[in-house]
Amino acid sequence: MASDKPDLPQGTLDLLVLKTVAAGPLHGYAIAQRLLQTSRDVVQVQQGTLYPALHRLEKRGLLTAEWKLSDTGREAKFYRLTRKGRSELDAETANWRRLTAAIGLILQAEGDAS
Amino acid sequence: MSWWARLFRRRQLDRQLDAELRDHIERQVADYRASGMSEGEARRRAAAAFGGLDQAREYCRDVRGTRWMEDAAQDVRYGVRMLARTPGFTAIAVLSLALGIGANTAIFSLVNSLLLRSLPVRDAEQLVLLDGGSWTNPIWEQIRDRRTELFAGAAAYGQDEYDLSRGGQTDRVEGLWASGEFFDLLGVPAVLGRTFDRRDDRRGSAQAQVAVLSFDFWQRRYGGAGDVIGRTITIQQIPFTIVGVTPPGFFGPQVGRSVDVFAPLAAAELASGPDRLDSRSMWWLEVVARLRPGQSADAATQALRAVQAQLRDATLPTGWPPAQLEQYLRTPLTVAPAARGPSHLREYYQQPLVAVMVVVSLVLLIACANIANLLLARANIRRHELTMRLALGASAARLGRQLVTESLLLSALGAALGILFASWASGLLAQQLDVELDLSLDRRVLAFTIGVAVLTALLFGLAPALRAGRLEPTDALKEHGRGLAGIGRRWLGEPLVVAQIALSLVLLVGAGLFVRTFARMATMDLGFDRDPVLLVSLDVSRAAPEPEARAALLGRIGQAIEGLPGVASHGISVVTPVSGRGWNAPFRVAGLPELAGRERMAFINAVTPGWFATYGTRIVAGRDFEPRDRPGTTPVAIVNEAFARKFLNGENPIGRFVTRGEPGGEEISTEIVGVVETSAYRSVRDPITPTVFLPFEQVKDGPPAASLSVRAATGSPAALVPSVNAALTPLHPALSLSFQPLADVVSTSLRRERVLAILSAFFGGLAMLLAGIGLYVVTSYAVSMRRTEIGVRMALGADAGRVVRLVVARVSWLLLAGVAVGTGLSLWASRYVQSLLFDLGPRDPVTLAGATAALIAIGVAAALLPAWRATRIDPVDVLRES
Repeated sequence: MASDKPDLPQGTLDLLVLKTVAAGPLHGYAIAQRLLQTSRDVVQVQQGTLYPALHRLEKRGLLTAEWKLSDTGREAKFYRLTRKGRSELDAETANWRRLTAAIGLILQAEGDAS
Repeated sequence: MSWWARLFRRRQLDRQLDAELRDHIERQVADYRASGMSEGEARRRAAAAFGGLDQAREYCRDVRGTRWMEDAAQDVRYGVRMLARTPGFTAIAVLSLALGIGANTAIFSLVNSLLLRSLPVRDAEQLVLLDGGSWTNPIWEQIRDRRTELFAGAAAYGQDEYDLSRGGQTDRVEGLWASGEFFDLLGVPAVLGRTFDRRDDRRGSAQAQVAVLSFDFWQRRYGGAGDVIGRTITIQQIPFTIVGVTPPGFFGPQVGRSVDVFAPLAAAELASGPDRLDSRSMWWLEVVARLRPGQSADAATQALRAVQAQLRDATLPTGWPPAQLEQYLRTPLTVAPAARGPSHLREYYQQPLVAVMVVVSLVLLIACANIANLLLARANIRRHELTMRLALGASAARLGRQLVTESLLLSALGAALGILFASWASGLLAQQLDVELDLSLDRRVLAFTIGVAVLTALLFGLAPALRAGRLEPTDALKEHGRGLAGIGRRWLGEPLVVAQIALSLVLLVGAGLFVRTFARMATMDLGFDRDPVLLVSLDVSRAAPEPEARAALLGRIGQAIEGLPGVASHGISVVTPVSGRGWNAPFRVAGLPELAGRERMAFINAVTPGWFATYGTRIVAGRDFEPRDRPGTTPVAIVNEAFARKFLNGENPIGRFVTRGEPGGEEISTEIVGVVETSAYRSVRDPITPTVFLPFEQVKDGPPAASLSVRAATGSPAALVPSVNAALTPLHPALSLSFQPLADVVSTSLRRERVLAILSAFFGGLAMLLAGIGLYVVTSYAVSMRRTEIGVRMALGADAGRVVRLVVARVSWLLLAGVAVGTGLSLWASRYVQSLLFDLGPRDPVTLAGATAALIAIGVAAALLPAWRATRIDPVDVLRES
């Protein structure tokens, strides 16, 4: 992976997926595209990671999936956030904010010292 | 979706996954096309962008969490194939497991229903029993009047045999006199009609003449007829109206005895006289109570003790000596938890059942060792296959799991067959023991069987699985199973065989002890002849309630029997020998110091002239009773030799006077006119019992029942039943008779010993056979491993005798080690069975020597076949192979 596209920290992919799907039902390809666009091409997810993540979230009941006719004329699997997924998203988002703020503080402090 | 749904919809899920991933790629292709790429270019880029498709698919499958199940299914399929490839091994393993697990399940289901299971009544754990034996009806009436202040409720019941005949030959069923609170207290409803209650249980009321049938009895006797309610049933020739039927599965308050007919306690006086209810020294009722919610058994005991003084005072037995009354007043009342119901059968069979449970688990252990041995031998043959799989990338853990799966398969097959075997065997066993039990497979028995099956699989599967873990992939590439590889390599098989031999010896010694105990009891000199005698139990209480009429009726019975063809002699007695019943009293001999305490007690029987001749009991001194020994003439007695030894220190008893003390304080002095040889009185097991015989006609206070004994001149006494029945039935319409050869009574009293002997002999033999097979497997394997060595030795001039010695020497060491360990174990374990033995020390040397000899014989036989095969090895073949 190129150096301008950093690895996602452990566990953040789930959060990003939940956030992406929160806007409305999406199929896997659209989720990957949306992640890419929203992050201005920084977050490029390997499909070998995205689909297991989707299936894992579905199994945990955070997403539900439905086969629906799509724009291509074929059926596609659309993922949608469940109520449980929504509260997970809120909790994880808050967590993430606290964590990044804390990490930011630490990094700042280190910067002052050097 | 649950994991099993994910597992079973695997195909569909796989298809959907493929469609989803393909959809992704198609969209990517379409996007690339839209940006102006050619179809081919777009497809190539899309595939590259996606990355490993197969990998993504596998990751998604892992997410399902059913991987282990899919692996397990694969292991099972593979295991089935492996087991099918060696049908001989599989059959031996499954059959020995089926026997082992089946025997354990069978015995456990008996243990479960006799020793563990609660009564099938409402909240059985709240039930308590008035501890310390049986109680009189006056005591029950005292408790009944206080039952709601002491407990949540209480009830009483007394077991009885109900004779349902209307005269002539008896028709005996299990009966229960139950107080009106009984069904209500236990929470047992009626499935048909109604149960009886307090309104029915009133003395002197016609309403007390009602009866409730058990479900089984209703099915058996009435074919489950719906119109049985309102019909009449006669109990001891008193008519009762059937009012209801209890639910199936309710067998009464005693485990092991199924009650057929229930009748109110108040009606007991109609059937067997008011004394039954009024007497303050007729101890025949059990008192059961239900605790209040939150009340402990101890609290109930305290409540009872608070009223003990009033209760005891109001029920003082009449005519007792002051010392005994004092004791009666002082003995504290206690209640004990009774969830499982009281059962003397439980006490009687607990120890033998536990002994047999230990035996069958040892047999299973031996069977496990055998299968472990077979698996180990097979694992050595399968080394090549297993190491090849390792080399191809299977993990050692995966191989171990494969082998454990095969073991579990074997034990599951064994357990399934074993349950079938057990359901047949436990029924047979209960029948042999004459207990009526609900032996249906309940959750506890099933859990036990499954637990045993898993445990055995681990026991015999662990060693081969661990061994597989130590294999190296490179082993596959080495030359396998040939050459000198077997020599010097110690394998687990040998310690296992030593353990097997040791355990079998323990079981054989146990079997020997129980068989010899039974043999001794079955053949011992009882002091009478059991074979020619027919017992006729007479219940004359209704035909002749008054003592005078009774004597006259019995006289007429004697005359009717006299001279019947085929009858050599006959006699009437109050107590039937070996029936378990007894009658005793304190005695002292005039002119000799009185014995102390319970030592004064001797058994009594009242017999007619000719009774000794009928039983073949020899009169060693003096005379038999004669017709002149009647009421009004000198009271006389005959004593047995045991009595003479104990009470007269061996002095000549003839002409001495013996005095019998009675509860009322009255003393009866009788002159000893004869001495007879000592014979068994209450049971075959009882030690020599001092007994005093009195002339039947001079005894006024004896029990109303009596038994007529008829000695057949030739042949089976059972052949006399029709003629005796025909001779006696016309004497009185209300005379009840039942017939039984004396030999049957004796053999019934040996039931426990017989069943224990049969079971221990069967399992001892099975253990010996299994140990023999184990030894055979180990020896055959050793011979096949040492083929080269033996071939070389033969090429160097060893003859057949030397080869046989080579093989047998090894086996002899195993046998000796096993016997040594087994002897030690037997000597240690035998003390636990001492109380089940009779006239035999637990370390009986004859038994130990016999068991050792049998085991060595089997061991040598198991070794000779492989030894003989070793002599057939052709040195030329062996040398050519290497």
